[in-house]
Amino acid sequence: MKPRTKSVFQSVFSVTRGSAAVLMAVSIMAQPGPSAKPEPAPQQALKLTASAIQLERSSLTETDLVIPEDTRISTYENLIIQLNKTNKFQHVYRSGDRNAATAPDLVILRLIPEAFTPGSQKLREVTTVAGATSIKVKIQFSSRDGKILLEKEVKGTVRFYGENLRATSDLAKKVAGVVKKII
Amino acid sequence: MKIRSSRIKPCMKSKQQEIVWRLLPPAGLLIFAVAVVLLTTAASALNRQPATPQVLQSKPFPNVKCVIGLENVKPNVRGTLSVLPIGLEFVTGNTKANISIASILDIFTGQESRQDVSGPIGTAAKAAIPYGGGRVVSLFSHTVEVLTVEYEDSNGGFHGAIFVLGEGKATAVKDQLVANGAKVTTHVQAPQQEEQKP
Repeated sequence: MKPRTKSVFQSVFSVTRGSAAVLMAVSIMAQPGPSAKPEPAPQQALKLTASAIQLERSSLTETDLVIPEDTRISTYENLIIQLNKTNKFQHVYRSGDRNAATAPDLVILRLIPEAFTPGSQKLREVTTVAGATSIKVKIQFSSRDGKILLEKEVKGTVRFYGENLRATSDLAKKVAGVVKKII
Repeated sequence: MKIRSSRIKPCMKSKQQEIVWRLLPPAGLLIFAVAVVLLTTAASALNRQPATPQVLQSKPFPNVKCVIGLENVKPNVRGTLSVLPIGLEFVTGNTKANISIASILDIFTGQESRQDVSGPIGTAAKAAIPYGGGRVVSLFSHTVEVLTVEYEDSNGGFHGAIFVLGEGKATAVKDQLVANGAKVTTHVQAPQQEEQKP
């Protein structure tokens, strides 16, 4: 190796080593320190055990939201179908079912509507960007004695193509996904 | 004179008889016509049904879409909806589903618009039209009525069935169900096109 080539190689190597050292120092400094107040444990970590579930219907007077009854019913019926599809429960009881009173290990699922945008299928298909139908609910798992076990917000939407009621199908699938994770 | 009168009388008698014989066929026809009219009126009066029954049975509504909510019926199936004295019946192919009047908790109707060209094939066709022609096709829509029937099963479990019918038909079905004794409460109309938060 020629002396000139050797000196070039050494200078390039030293520059590379220096850059690596600077990068490591910066990345160590950029590490977030321990936060002042501890964050609550993520809700996904919580697991529930239940062999049966009862879906309570959301009543018209529960919130001030005025949601069309077909949207409420479609959400309820779609969720019954999706809960059965999860295969997590021996029984999926409907709201008011008298057999649920004797079911052991029962968890009660309640959907509390939080926001609703009616949307428009025509507007969606003409503009693509406007007219989305969305429904946001708080899902609440509780025990038979009324103790709230878990709460989570879920949103169902239909953005581009499809009828407005497809938002309820989307919502039901997402709620069933949450149920699969926690039970 | 006596001889004359005796000669004239047979002549007059024959004339009267002739007039009677001439009038007999039209008079007979008249009597026959009156008899026919009277008989027809009596027959129609006899055939008339007794007082209108309280329970109404309408003609069936074909091509109704059951969106969801009927036992043993797949979602988004088309069939025939009928209002029977015992309740509501939906028939599609060999499948039949009933909702009895006594089990109905509430009935809602609402209007929606549906695209004239829709579904997966329609959407693909609209997307294939060049220069945004699909968007123009999307402007064409028609109004439909949505019928929502809330009912409970034998265990007290809550169910809801949603049907999509032609304009004005959902209201007709609701009116017939109410006339047959179905329960209905007063409803609040949902506002359009605004996001709502409690």
